[in-house]
Amino acid sequence: MIGNPKWFERRKYGGWGITPKTWQGWVYIGIMVIPFAIFQSLPFWDNLTRLIIYGIWMLVLIIDILSIMKNLDKDEREEKIEALAERNSTWAMIAVLLAGILYQTYLSAFSQTVKIDWFLVATLAAGTIVKSLSNFILEKKDL
Amino acid sequence: MQTKIKEYRAKYELTQEELAQKVGVRRETIVFLEKGKYNPSLKLAYQIAKILKTSIEKLFILE
Repeated sequence: MIGNPKWFERRKYGGWGITPKTWQGWVYIGIMVIPFAIFQSLPFWDNLTRLIIYGIWMLVLIIDILSIMKNLDKDEREEKIEALAERNSTWAMIAVLLAGILYQTYLSAFSQTVKIDWFLVATLAAGTIVKSLSNFILEKKDL
Repeated sequence: MQTKIKEYRAKYELTQEELAQKVGVRRETIVFLEKGKYNPSLKLAYQIAKILKTSIEKLFILE
């Protein structure tokens, strides 16, 4: 792929993903973002061309970043820290999602109409499925 | 858990960075190991013991 995992580290503060740790990482960000921003700001492209270029660029960028994330150089201590941090953030998200669903349920009962955002429910359901699958697969795997 | 990594490392004139590279971890992990603030996996403990030409029992002291 284009980016080298050695140029990046996992993002520890302010979200998920990767963050540059060497100057090459910053150059990579510049090369991947600046030409695209310039292309999108130029007036003489029609909407279809913009859409196609946007789609291709996003696809390349997402695949490359996923590849970098998968091959990031992490040792066992860092993996442990990452796993615990991800678990804690998941608990925070579950708490907020549940609070949202409970609030909407309360409003629904009050107005006697169903006003639940099903994306919140779907998010919890997706998390439940992924957790179950992870447990099922990991229980059988050599760790 | 206490360790004697620092003593053995000095014996073989290895820096934390060199030991970290040999066992495939970050230098910070060696720092935390030496301070007794990280419990390594059996695999890492074995690798470190092998590099420092000693046994796990001599290197790691469970309090």
